[in-house]
Amino acid sequence: MLLLQLLINGVQVGALYALIAVGFSLIFGSTKVFHFAHGATFTIAAYIFYYLYSVSEAHWILAVLAATAGAVAFGVFMDRCIYAPIQRHEGSFFTVFVASLGAGIIVQNLVGMIFGRGFVSVTTPLSRSIELLPGLYVAPLSGIAILCAIVFFGALQIFLMRTNVGMGLRALSENPELVRVYGLSPRRLSTIVFALGSLLVIPAAIITAASSGLNPAIAHHIMLISLAATIVGGVGSLRGAACAGLLLGMSENLALMYLGPQWSEAVTFIVLFLFILFRPSGFFGRAIAS
Amino acid sequence: MLAYIINLVTLISINAVLAITLNFIMGYAGIFSMAHAVFFGVGAYTAAYFALNVSASFFLAVPVAMLAAAVLSLVLALPALRVRGEYFVAASLGLQVLGVTIFSEWKGFTGGLGGLIGIPPVEFFGYGLSSNTQYMVLALACLLLVVLVTTVLLRSSFGRNLKAIRDSESAAHAFGKNVATIKTLSVAISAALTAVAGALYAFYLGFINVESFMLDTSVLLMAMVIIGGTGTLLGPIVGAMLLMLLPSLFSYMWFLPATEIGSIQQIAYGAAMILLMIYRPGGLVGASKKQVAK
Repeated sequence: MLLLQLLINGVQVGALYALIAVGFSLIFGSTKVFHFAHGATFTIAAYIFYYLYSVSEAHWILAVLAATAGAVAFGVFMDRCIYAPIQRHEGSFFTVFVASLGAGIIVQNLVGMIFGRGFVSVTTPLSRSIELLPGLYVAPLSGIAILCAIVFFGALQIFLMRTNVGMGLRALSENPELVRVYGLSPRRLSTIVFALGSLLVIPAAIITAASSGLNPAIAHHIMLISLAATIVGGVGSLRGAACAGLLLGMSENLALMYLGPQWSEAVTFIVLFLFILFRPSGFFGRAIAS
Repeated sequence: MLAYIINLVTLISINAVLAITLNFIMGYAGIFSMAHAVFFGVGAYTAAYFALNVSASFFLAVPVAMLAAAVLSLVLALPALRVRGEYFVAASLGLQVLGVTIFSEWKGFTGGLGGLIGIPPVEFFGYGLSSNTQYMVLALACLLLVVLVTTVLLRSSFGRNLKAIRDSESAAHAFGKNVATIKTLSVAISAALTAVAGALYAFYLGFINVESFMLDTSVLLMAMVIIGGTGTLLGPIVGAMLLMLLPSLFSYMWFLPATEIGSIQQIAYGAAMILLMIYRPGGLVGASKKQVAK
């Protein structure tokens, strides 16, 4: 029964990780921007939701909308005001990464100053677990997490495959020069990618806030997951990132059978390390080893 | 007041050593490690454990700490040899997280969350250092030594090989350079020198716990190198001085709430990193238009 319980928790966490990782992977794959502040987007969305829903007791739809607006605005701001000026003179991986890291530090500390550095959590009517079978507790939130992941992936897939903008985005990841030749603006596409990538984090941010709680330093954990899932899944492969997110969530929870919860991040790292050593191209990715 | 300055100079020297060693792999070998605090920690814990259980002699404890860090650095070098920069950031971030978990869980060696207390003062031929002034001299001497060692190494053919690898790995390979060996060596040297700073830190404070070796420290060190200027000799020292003086500067500003100074400091260097990357990616010391490491 413990195994089943951990499996269900694993799928819930894994679905959220998959959403986070796909957001990062989408941005990294198509714009080549190492968006280290992706974790900050998560923090912003989660704290806006926490503040409006738990502290000012606004309606949940309002809180979700505000969180969405905040996250997307932050993503677009990063692209327009920070990455664009850097890429104008030189866009080496390092420069962009450092600027992004700086933005992440600022957000983490601002959130810490405004909301306190402690642990907060949001209680919703859906967070309470129900005993499905004797000894098996499942919250309705797990179902919502899985449903969200499926809906968002479906929508993303349709968007990328069927719409003109979506095709433009896929072209951008292949060859930005050629995109320009065809009269599309890589800058405008990149803004859309950032908005989309940030949008994907929102369900994960809100459900994490409502199930396991938040602290301002959670961004690092989110980044570790995004990076690990992107690499394990293979860079540029959204399907790979989603599967890898699920795998990381499952392995983290199944490891609880043998190890204490403080080791969960170590498990993520070991999975990542093994992949880097033995299969650096990931599940489905192209070869990236130098 | 004098005691305050002596303390500050000692801490700046220790941090400058850390920044220089990080710059050694970041600025010259092109390896962006977010796990530098782990090697700092390994050095500190090894030296402390050795001093508590075997001997507090500088000439025994420090080499042991260096050796431990260098051996562990192979864990970092292994993925670094396999993948490019982006992926390596992820691996080192993971190693940092794993390091903190081990530091706080391995109670027999690190004392767990409580840390190690009562580390004896470091001894030179049986004579123990007692005053803070002596520690300041020792820290400055170590800083000087590390600067010398890295400068000599970078001026040698080894340093030129490193820069060649940073600028174009395939070109260096085509010229018959053994890329794997050079990279591994550079990581091991950097880790060993980092351990010197760790040992100094442990002896100076007489108390260490995991708080000093968390991700925040790695990021702070990275900020020192970047703000000062990657791939320059003076840059990391300037960066370390600036970032270490910043908190004391802020504490003179009466209008800032005292409990938030840590956060304000971090926001300040976060903002500095963004602005520098937009306007001057080479850092304060680096040339303004110089191409920085890829």
